[in-house]
Amino acid sequence: MPAELAQEQSPSNQTSIAMMQEPQEMVEETVTVEEDPGTPTSHVSIVTSEDGTTRRTETKVTKMVKTVTTRTVRQVPLGPDGLPSMDGSSPMGSYTDSIDRRYMKNGERYITPQASSTLTRSYNSYNDSYPDSHEGQYRPYIGHDGYGDLADNYGSLSRGVNYRPRYAYVPGNSYRPEDGSFTLPSRRDNYGPIAQPQVPVGSNVDLNRSQPERFQPEPYGLEDDNRSLGVDDEGYELDPDYSTVNRRTSAGVPERGRPHKGRGYDDPIETEMVEERIPYLHGGYAAPLAQPERGSMASIDRLGKRSPSIDSIRKDPRWRDPDLPEVIAMLSHPIDPVKSNAAAYLQHLCYENDKIKKDVRHLKGIPILVGLLDHPKPEVHRKACGALRNISYGKDNENKVAIKNCDGIPALIRLLRKTNDMEVRELITGTLWNLSSYEPLKMVIINHGLQTLTNEVIIPHSGWESEPNEDSKPRDAEWTTVFKNTSGCLRNVSSDGAEARRRLRECDGLVDALLHALQSAVGKKDTDNKSVENCVCIMRNLSYHVHKEVPGADKYQELDASQTMSTGGSQKKKKDDAGCFGGKKAKGKKNGDLDRNFDTLDLPKRSETAKGFELLYQPDVVRLYLSILTESQNFNTLEAAAGALQNLSAGNWTWSTYIRATVRKERGLPVLVELLQSDSDKVVRAVSIALRNLSMDRRNKDLIGSYAMGELVRNLPSRQQRSSKNLEEDTVVAVLNTIHEIITDSSENARSLIQTQGIQKLVAISKSSQSPRETKAASHVLQMIWSYKELRNALQKDGWNKSHFQSVSAAPKGSKGTAGRSGYDDSTLPLVDKSQDNEKSGSRDMIPMDELGPDGYSTIDHRDKERKYKTSDNTGDASEKEPLKG
Amino acid sequence: MSYVPGQPVTAVVQRIEIHKLRQGDNLILGFSIGGGIDQDPAQNPFSEDKTDKGIYVTRVTEGGPAEVAGLQIGDKIMQVNGWDMTMVTHDQARKRLTKRNEEVVRLLVTRQSLQKAVQQSMMS
Repeated sequence: MPAELAQEQSPSNQTSIAMMQEPQEMVEETVTVEEDPGTPTSHVSIVTSEDGTTRRTETKVTKMVKTVTTRTVRQVPLGPDGLPSMDGSSPMGSYTDSIDRRYMKNGERYITPQASSTLTRSYNSYNDSYPDSHEGQYRPYIGHDGYGDLADNYGSLSRGVNYRPRYAYVPGNSYRPEDGSFTLPSRRDNYGPIAQPQVPVGSNVDLNRSQPERFQPEPYGLEDDNRSLGVDDEGYELDPDYSTVNRRTSAGVPERGRPHKGRGYDDPIETEMVEERIPYLHGGYAAPLAQPERGSMASIDRLGKRSPSIDSIRKDPRWRDPDLPEVIAMLSHPIDPVKSNAAAYLQHLCYENDKIKKDVRHLKGIPILVGLLDHPKPEVHRKACGALRNISYGKDNENKVAIKNCDGIPALIRLLRKTNDMEVRELITGTLWNLSSYEPLKMVIINHGLQTLTNEVIIPHSGWESEPNEDSKPRDAEWTTVFKNTSGCLRNVSSDGAEARRRLRECDGLVDALLHALQSAVGKKDTDNKSVENCVCIMRNLSYHVHKEVPGADKYQELDASQTMSTGGSQKKKKDDAGCFGGKKAKGKKNGDLDRNFDTLDLPKRSETAKGFELLYQPDVVRLYLSILTESQNFNTLEAAAGALQNLSAGNWTWSTYIRATVRKERGLPVLVELLQSDSDKVVRAVSIALRNLSMDRRNKDLIGSYAMGELVRNLPSRQQRSSKNLEEDTVVAVLNTIHEIITDSSENARSLIQTQGIQKLVAISKSSQSPRETKAASHVLQMIWSYKELRNALQKDGWNKSHFQSVSAAPKGSKGTAGRSGYDDSTLPLVDKSQDNEKSGSRDMIPMDELGPDGYSTIDHRDKERKYKTSDNTGDASEKEPLKG
Repeated sequence: MSYVPGQPVTAVVQRIEIHKLRQGDNLILGFSIGGGIDQDPAQNPFSEDKTDKGIYVTRVTEGGPAEVAGLQIGDKIMQVNGWDMTMVTHDQARKRLTKRNEEVVRLLVTRQSLQKAVQQSMMS
């Protein structure tokens, strides 16, 4: 499996378990719906879909429909053409009015472009279907239909799916735009055909304009943008759905049911929703649902000047949704609610829309958003963070890089430290999870945020206390979303290689807290959740190569010198390079005796209790992993726990020996054997490699051989057996390699292999499998069997003869792949060396962890080994193996 | 933040209070500085005005006392415990920060984003 799961992005899961179970990254989508208390009706929903490895997190803000007070941001004095006379900073320029098509049908967005009236500022609520209207102005960014639709708010984040295409609003929908979202005055105006005066509550005059057909009772009061532009006149149609547009034209904004004061315009920007403003000053158009978002008006006013369309002068102001540059400009607006609404709108726009995300990046919106993270007001930084989360999610990694380039990562960490708001913390950690899925950023995240994430999230939520109070009982872990996100982020970064592992191991309190959390999960029998999965994956990753990488590891290296074969020196060196595999092999052969002595293991004396990374390999963790393996049903968790055991029992150092023996003593072998029956490929693969490593211990090998052989054979594919599982190539190869390991140096095991009808399957695989790796692995096993002379009688009685065992698939081109290897004289070198050689290549391959499958490590080695074998076979026959084997 | 000789310097500042962390015999702050009147200001990556010889924060260790207090990389330190830092040598600056008998240092720092924020809010 690929070591890393791309998280958030690509759903593809590339989790691969590199060598020894490399960490995987996960991307996960979560859906959460929350209400944002600050904005009247928006909630953030995050969709989660999890396919196990990918996790995407995007936050979409949906607007809740409900009555909302409209907020109106109001505006600045409008200039003659309705444009605000303020600085033109506001992104929106005069808009050409958008069309009202939408109003054509109830809820249907249908827009017929209309001449835009001058409203320069009319904005369409963005429900309007964007596409249609606006002539002229660009909407390309927002163009998507989706946006317009939101019936709800204009600008609201509701991006609910349902919003899209149409407005199905019914009056009363509360959408109104802007709650909380960026408010662009929604304009609903229809020019022409539909005018609807909203329910006219007191609408004034303008109602005349409105076309009768669209009469939609305005659920909320209208906003009114009282600025009168003077131009607007056409009745706006009040679209119930639309958020009202604030119109600048104050003329006649119809009031929706609310007797607003007729304000003229320029309402001060209010931070909170205010009610609609007077419907209109002139002409009366029914103000569409205007709900100005707070501050939005102002921002709108400032939007860049847009030239009003020619005939806009006499028509109703047309509001249109702000387009993307305008929105981004609004992010720098002096008024805070404008900023927060703009950010929220941006979040909404970016939801699941890669093109917009890219456009935001091109328009340099990302540095602005990152800057807003430092803003003191919670609404501002919360929305900015939500927008960044959405932007960071997706296949396109450029956005992630852009966030990192403007120092987004330190800014997120800073905010995490400052804020106590759970939602903001979730957004921050979600964004970091997304960012951590991209490999080049992992080290950056570690550099800026590792200790902080540990101190702020992992330690508190895990229940671990560094100075435990004797009287209090140990606290339980809290499985919060923040913890889940953070553990996911750490899971991803822990896959980034040796340096990353070192940093995580040495991070103060991290390992302790994670173990405590896992203990608590086991205690509460809650081992299937995502946070537990993430934690176990981190543990697995950190256990990888622990025998080589922790400080002081060399003290514990097993002394094989006396037992090495001829190439003692080089072997030792190779062993170091090779790591698990080679070492394993060598040890397996030679240290069988040594292992026997470990029945009475003397753990190294400890002067103080283990802490930090030392906990990774204490025999106590064995019990923890075994409990997880027994209880959990989550395949990823099972795979990770088996992977951790695999990693720990690999290698040549004292601790692995202890671990191997401890697994046996804690009755872990039956647990693993039972998991071989699992339906999940990755679980079977991880467990078989774990068994393989465990069988480096002599007693284990005997036990595994007797109890596990049947299961292992059952996992091999077979055409005849209906019940045989359909496993992937990597898994089959792993199982074959495990079988090989078990029967090496143990003729009893080889015998039991024969007894379990394994030969038939092996021969079938070696002859007819599609995969060259499977074939090689099977042949390898067969050759090993044949090398036991004492069994040959039994085999021949069953009808097998030498040719079944000797055939090695010919030319795997792969063999030539190992450049330099071919120089090796396989026949003379001890098997160990060969494997070490393999090991090296394996190691090389392993380094890019992503590529390794869970068993990639061993598999690759094997592959190399196979190749080597091939070479040797070519030169001699299998009989040459015997001396090696011996 | 440009400096006109003879004129008072005005800047928008943030107060930062750093509680030094005791590590054995040392008190650590968790950040590094650069700059000083005896240094070359052109090399300063954080300053807007490349003739500014002030003291800038060049590195902040993650999770350290300075980061916790809110110090950011690129900040310019204006005062430390009341002592001016705009016209000091690098060594003088270091000494003012690392006094052994002071466990807390109170800084006034400024950065461009502060300036901009104030400008923006003044605009409205």
